[in-house]
Order: sequence, then C-alpha cells, then structure tokens
Amino acid sequence: MTGGKLKDEVVRTTIRAEDDWEPIGPTPMPSVTDLRNWDLRLLDSYEPFYAPFCDLCCLCTYGKCDLTADRKGACGLDMASQQARMILLKCLMGTAAHGAHARHMVDFLIEKYGPEHPIDLGGQVNVESPIIRTVLGLKPQTLADLRKAVEYVEGEVIHLLSATHTGQEGDHRDFESKAFHAGMIDHVALEAADIAQIVGFGYPTSVADTPLVEIGWGAIDKTRPVIVVIGHNAITSNAIVDYLKEKGLYDKVEVAGICCTALDVTRYASFAKVVGPLSQQRFFLKTGIADVIVTDEQCVLTDIPDLAKQTGSALIACSDKICYGLPNRSEEEVEAVLAHVLEEGEGVLLLDPKKAAEVAVKAALALAPRRDKSLLSTEDAAKLAAKCRGTCELCNQACPNLLTVSVAVNAMRQGDPAPIGRLFLRCIGCGACEQACPHHIPVQRLMQAGAVQEKYKLRSGRGPIHDVEIRKVGSPIVLGTIPGVVLFAGCSNFPEDIDDVAWLAEELARRKYIVTLSGCSAMAAAMRKDAEGKTIYEKYTPEFDAGCIVNVGSCVANAHVVGAAIKIANIFACLPNRANFELMADYILNRVGACGVVWGPYSQKALTIGTGAVRWGIPVVLGPHGSKYSRLFMSKKEHGDWRVMDGRTRQLVDTGEPTPEHMMITVESKERALLTIIKQCFRRNDTPPGRAIKLNSYISVAKQVLNSLPDDLQNFVRTERDIPIVYKREVLAYLKEVGWQPKPTLSLPTVIGTYETRVPIEATVKELPKK
Amino acid sequence: MAAEVLTTPYYRVNVLTGTRAARVVDDPAEAARIVAGAKNPLYVLGPDAVRLSAGDKLLIDYALDIAAARDMPICATAHVKRKLVEYGKKPDSTYDIIEIVHFLKMPDWKGVRGEGQHDLVLFSGVRCDLAERGLSTLKHFAPHLRTFAICRRGHPNADYTVPVTARGDRWTEYLQGLVAALG
Repeated sequence: MTGGKLKDEVVRTTIRAEDDWEPIGPTPMPSVTDLRNWDLRLLDSYEPFYAPFCDLCCLCTYGKCDLTADRKGACGLDMASQQARMILLKCLMGTAAHGAHARHMVDFLIEKYGPEHPIDLGGQVNVESPIIRTVLGLKPQTLADLRKAVEYVEGEVIHLLSATHTGQEGDHRDFESKAFHAGMIDHVALEAADIAQIVGFGYPTSVADTPLVEIGWGAIDKTRPVIVVIGHNAITSNAIVDYLKEKGLYDKVEVAGICCTALDVTRYASFAKVVGPLSQQRFFLKTGIADVIVTDEQCVLTDIPDLAKQTGSALIACSDKICYGLPNRSEEEVEAVLAHVLEEGEGVLLLDPKKAAEVAVKAALALAPRRDKSLLSTEDAAKLAAKCRGTCELCNQACPNLLTVSVAVNAMRQGDPAPIGRLFLRCIGCGACEQACPHHIPVQRLMQAGAVQEKYKLRSGRGPIHDVEIRKVGSPIVLGTIPGVVLFAGCSNFPEDIDDVAWLAEELARRKYIVTLSGCSAMAAAMRKDAEGKTIYEKYTPEFDAGCIVNVGSCVANAHVVGAAIKIANIFACLPNRANFELMADYILNRVGACGVVWGPYSQKALTIGTGAVRWGIPVVLGPHGSKYSRLFMSKKEHGDWRVMDGRTRQLVDTGEPTPEHMMITVESKERALLTIIKQCFRRNDTPPGRAIKLNSYISVAKQVLNSLPDDLQNFVRTERDIPIVYKREVLAYLKEVGWQPKPTLSLPTVIGTYETRVPIEATVKELPKK
Repeated sequence: MAAEVLTTPYYRVNVLTGTRAARVVDDPAEAARIVAGAKNPLYVLGPDAVRLSAGDKLLIDYALDIAAARDMPICATAHVKRKLVEYGKKPDSTYDIIEIVHFLKMPDWKGVRGEGQHDLVLFSGVRCDLAERGLSTLKHFAPHLRTFAICRRGHPNADYTVPVTARGDRWTEYLQGLVAALG
C-alpha cells in the first residue's frame, strides 16, 4: 500500500493505535519502499555478489535474451538486475510458502477455537511476538490478530511480485531491497504460524527442557502399522495423534515424520518419531516401511505417487498445495474412501484433517499385516548391482553432490555394503544416479543393505525464547562475553556428512556460544553420538544460555531466534520496538553477535529466511550449495568503508574494522565455516573483555584448522586489551610484523545518522520507561 | 577451425545454460603458453587440492610447481593453508573462495601482492559446483581478467579449461606436461 491518509487510517485501525503498550514508531506495517533507505545503506557496505546460473533471460517472449558481455535484454535489464529479479522471485516463493502455511494454520484454528482465542505463551514469555510487534506495530492478543499479520504479508506479496513483471523494476539494488522486504514479511508469517500452532495445539512454550524424542530410520518399529507424515504443516499429523489417543491406539501404531512436520508432531506428542531430514525422504519411502504416507506441504517429493505404487504404500495427500492429480475424496464417507485406498490401491486427496486421520489409521491397520516390509539383504543388493562395473561413472556425473556413487555400487556388487552405507550419510536423496544408470540399478534401494539402522535422541522443539532468559543473557551478549548466538537453520542439502552440523554445533557450544537449531538442521544435529552414545541434545543445556543446544522447532520456529535478537534490544536495552524496524535492526547489526547458518541450503524458503535475517542485521553463512542461490552480500573487508556514528558523541567514527564482515557468504568446508561463523559474531559494540573472548575462539579455531594465527587478525584487534591473555605474546609479535595500528572502540555504534532516515540518532540511546 | 568449447563438463550440475563457453585447452604446452603470457597471474587453491591425488602426488604438489615456475602468488582458500604450513610455505592470501572472487571482479583492486589486479587466474581444487559459480561471476562481471580451470572435471564458465579427463593417468600426464612446459 502506498502512503497517504487512507493507508494511515487502515494501519491505525489494524494495529489498534490506541493501545498504549509502546509509542508507535516510524514504520508501522511498512510498504515496499518504507525501509528502502535502510536497505540501500546495508547494500553500500555489503554489495550484492552475483553468480549467474544462466547466461540468458527466458521470462518473456522478447527473448531468449543473451545477457553476456554487458548486453541488456530487450526490456533493458542487465545481468545484475536479472539476477536480482530472479532472487526476488525465489524469495517470494519462500514467503508465499510460509505465508500460505500461516494462513492455513490460523484459519484452521480460528475455525476450531474462534477468532478470540487468546495468544498466551505462558508465564515466561511476555513479549509474545517480537517480529510482528516490530514490523506491524501490533501486539497480537488473539488468533484474529495473527490473521491481520498474515493479511499484511499477503498484501505486500502482491506488490513485490508485480515488480518482477517485465517492464517494472530495473535496478538490481532496488530488486534487492524488495527481496529484503520479502524476507522480512516472511519472518512475520513464520512467527504468526508458529505462535498459532503453539496456542492452538498446546505445543511447548515457556519451558526449555522439552522431551527427548527418537530420531533415525532405525527408530521406526516396522513390526507395527506405520504412518509416515511428510512436509511442514502438522494439522493432519496432529489429527492422527488425536485419533490414535481417542481410540487407544497410540502404542500400537507408529507415527513417524520426515522434515518439519516430524518436528511439529513431536512437539504435539512425544511418542511420535522422526525418521530424519528431507534428504532421507526418498530413501525411506523406498524401503516400504511406511504402510501409509500422508503428505502435507513444502519440501515433499513430487513423485510420491510413483514411490507409493512401487512399495504398495497407501498415499493420502492433505494439502491443496499438493494434489498430485489424485481424486478428491474429501466429501466421501470414511469407509468409502477406505475402499478406494485398500481395494483399488488408489491414492486420495483428503482436505479434511479429521477424515484423513481416520483413513490413515484404518488403512495402516489394514495394510500392515499384508505387506512385506523386509529390507534388501546384502545378497539381494549384490544381485541388483550385478551389472555395475564401476567404470562408466554416469551416476557420479549425475550426482549434484559430486559423490562417487560408482565406487559404492561396485563394492555392493562384490558383496561389500560398507561403502554404500557411507554414501547414504552423504546422499541428498535426489535419485539422479538411478536415472542416469544405463542398467537401472536402484541405488537408493541398495542403501538399505548398507545404511546402519541407528536411532538417536533429539530434543523436541521448544518454541520461543523466554523473556527471563533474555534478561539473563542480554548483557553478556551485548558486551561480547557470551561470544555469539548462532542459529543453524534450513535444509539437508549438506555438502558432506550429515552429521557435520552436529560437529559445528558442538564446536561452538563447547566454546560457550548460544547454539540454536531448527528444521532439518536440528534433526541432522542429532545424528551423531559421542563415545558414550550421547547426542548433543543429551550433553548440553536446553536453556538459552552460554553453551546451550536449543532446538526451537520447525522452519516456522526460526522466527523465535530472530525474535530473541529483537528481544535483546527491546527487553534488555529497553529500546521501543513497536513499528521500529530500523532501530531494532541497527541494534542487532551493531550490538548483537548473532549469525545464521544454513549448511545444507536447497529451498527457496531458506533463501528467504536468510534474506530476511540480513535485513534484520544478522549475517548468514551458507554451505557450498548456497552458491547456487546466485546471490550473496559481501563487503570489501579491510578495504571497505566502516564509518559509523558514535551514538553518545553523535560523531562519525572510522572504526576501521569490518564487523560483521559479510552479510551473506558461502564457504566451502566445515572447517572454514567454523572460522567464519565465529568471525561473523564479532560486533563493534564488543567490550575489550568480550572481544578478547571472541578472539580467543577465533584464534583457537584458526590454530585447529589452519595451524596458524588468522591472517586477518589485525582487522579485529582494536586495542591491546582485545587480545586474549593466553595468546598475547604471539599476537603482539604478529601485529608488529603486519604494522597494526590501534582502532577506536565504541560503546554505542550505530549506522543511524549515516543515511536518510526518520529514526533520530537519539533513539539509539533512548530508553523505554520502565513499567 | 574454431576452437573447441566445453558446454557439458563431467558434472551435469555444471552444464552450461548459455552462450559463452570455455575454450578447451587439451595441450599442456598451450596451457603453459597461456600461463606464461600472463603479466600478473594468480593461483587459487581449494581444499580438494589437498584431498585429491594425481598419480602418486597430491594435486596441490603440482599446483605449487606450476605456481613456482612463474612466481605466481597463491590464494589458499578454505583450510588449504594448513597444508601449506606443513610444507613450510606461506600463501599470499587466505581469502576464502567467494572473497577472492569478489575482489577479482573489482577492476581497481591491487591484487594479493599489491601489484595490481590480476590478468589471469588459475583455479584448482575448489569443489566443482562452487568453482563453477565463482567462474560464472568472473565471466559476467570481470571482463578485465581471464580464468583458467586446472581441473580434470572441466568448467564451462571459465575462459580456458582442461578437457574432461576421465582417466587418472591422463590427468597426471597433463599436470606433468604443464609443469614441464613452464620450465
């Protein structure tokens, strides 16, 4: 919506301007250009970096247009702008997926409980929705208020999407500003969706020590009827749990999930199990262990009807997003639907969750006794691999994760299942190898013979970070004495072993970082045991504090970590957040050492979440597949302009230190990732003791992975007081060698005042009245 | 006869979708001439250089020989520096792969030794999908330099690429030939 009296009126009504919980800031329900100056300021320091996937633009019938060698398309777009346009489109896919998810969840729960159902996140969470409060200026009190937040997202998506049409936006920085907007409103949708399901389904909130649940394909008891739920929207999965409880069947039927639905169903019922992240979806479905497959939305394989046919599993699709061409049986009686499923082997679309639940359970009970769920033996696997000679390498060439599939298949041919077991741990589950094989060797089925049937412990998602936790850690985070808050989010398109996330998380937790996880990353982090057989969830505290391992929940629960950063500004620093996006983001950028990590990025949603994080001032580190998003945000490091305002003296100060160094970067190895994550938690606001603690981690990891001091140490040592005592002599000698000069240390750095904004610099120090 | 170009490398994830493909340099002597003709070349080494072997040596051993032959500066990305320290060598830069590509696309950058922007950049040992993205960046946004993928898997977005070389012995021969031709 553009500005003007009409908009003002609508906004004031929507956010109940008369509510006096905080004064209304400058940007209630911001429209597409309201935060543009903030975005452009960010882009001044962190330029978009493009790595085009394609030399062409093929989006309109003027083309194909060749954009190489500084050529422009028929519409006038150059390569950079075309890249940014595609980024905006991808981000909008992510926003739309989360927004539609939130819309479905909120509408479903309003239908069930009414619009006035209260938002109550328990005694430990008073600032219930830091993102919605900051972005919209609304303090949601009911489900109907969450619907307002979703409606705002929906409205903005239309404007943003229109900008991608040919003959609209033409500047890459403005496209990026719009992508930031898509990312920010995506976070609104995430928060609305998760709060809705917490209050609607009674998921854990205001508690840290949530149950430990079982994860791993070995955790699934295939002697029982097995229902596998896949996707992100647990409405139907929870209905299955309800039905099982109602009928006293919960200990007779296995409910197991893949991807985020798995995390959310375990928040609802700890007897549910998690098969694993989405990379194991194809593998697991091919085992045939699932008697019934129930799909909802997002990250669900689009050829599941074929997979279900191959194994004789029943298929129930439950989302209007994924109909698979199946007949819609939603209006039919349960017994009639069952007849189609059991007698005709028909997959069905059932959009009524209760009906889908009943059909799923009854179908599983009926099918399980008649199905053979035995796994492939080593002998049978060797027979299936018999035609492989390990020489054509077509499977290797097809593998998007660059794995040497042929070696494992050839070993299997010779009766050795170990290599294919190791391959399983690196496989991203796309099935490209099978399609490339001229002998049609079923590589993913062969993995049944080699993959260890392990099970692990995963702490179920705990939802929002508590206000009391923020009060405890706010000061040490801002001072730097807790060295950082790291969120491992996103998908399982991991470049190497699935348990590398666990390695990274533990390296940070034992250095006293606050480590949070969500989605498939949270699952993968459970898939590593120490010598005593414990996972990191069993070894580290689940409380949001130094050295913790916190699973916040599914993808939509990512909102709580961004929310925690906002709460630090709002609760600890007492800055008003109501409709005050720039003030919050500036605080996070300069003073909250937070970093997002997506080690296995694949989805548009992960790109959107990351892009939104950048607008909030949270840098993002991506695994190597993240380079295929085709856009990063990079600074010029020590060659950049690092002037900021000193909020106390209101003087422009050249800090000379690149912190945060980049806002979105891809790194190649887990070792480099660890170094980079640690570095991305540096903030200009760090006190000398805080910086010394951070540098201690940075140096110790550099010695571990590079066998030397970091080569850019001089960029981050401001005064000798920043140097960790244990390394003092060595570091001083190095600094002398490279001609290091001291840099200013600011207690109140801000970029407010370095660009045109309605936020006065005084606001960066103004405190909320203590109520 | 037009020079052969590479559109379909070993890894299908890197297939060219476009109009401008790398010229295949299948003769190591020609590769040496390209390297020797550069005024200010740079060698970027990724972690596969210390993981993968060519014959009885590591890829990094050949890369270091190539660099040494032309006094070429080295950028050790990821955790490659660890191996160089083991060898008693110091890289000229430890920028990570995306960082070095970012600087390479700036025409006025001073280069890793402060001697000006590089005019030829060799890449070895960078994970192939990531390398291809970086090469795409340079193809589109760094017209002031040329890139050469010293990688047996082939890279369409480079200016010059080693041909797809399935056989390990041929790859070793190529590297040996290049080192020998550089003298």
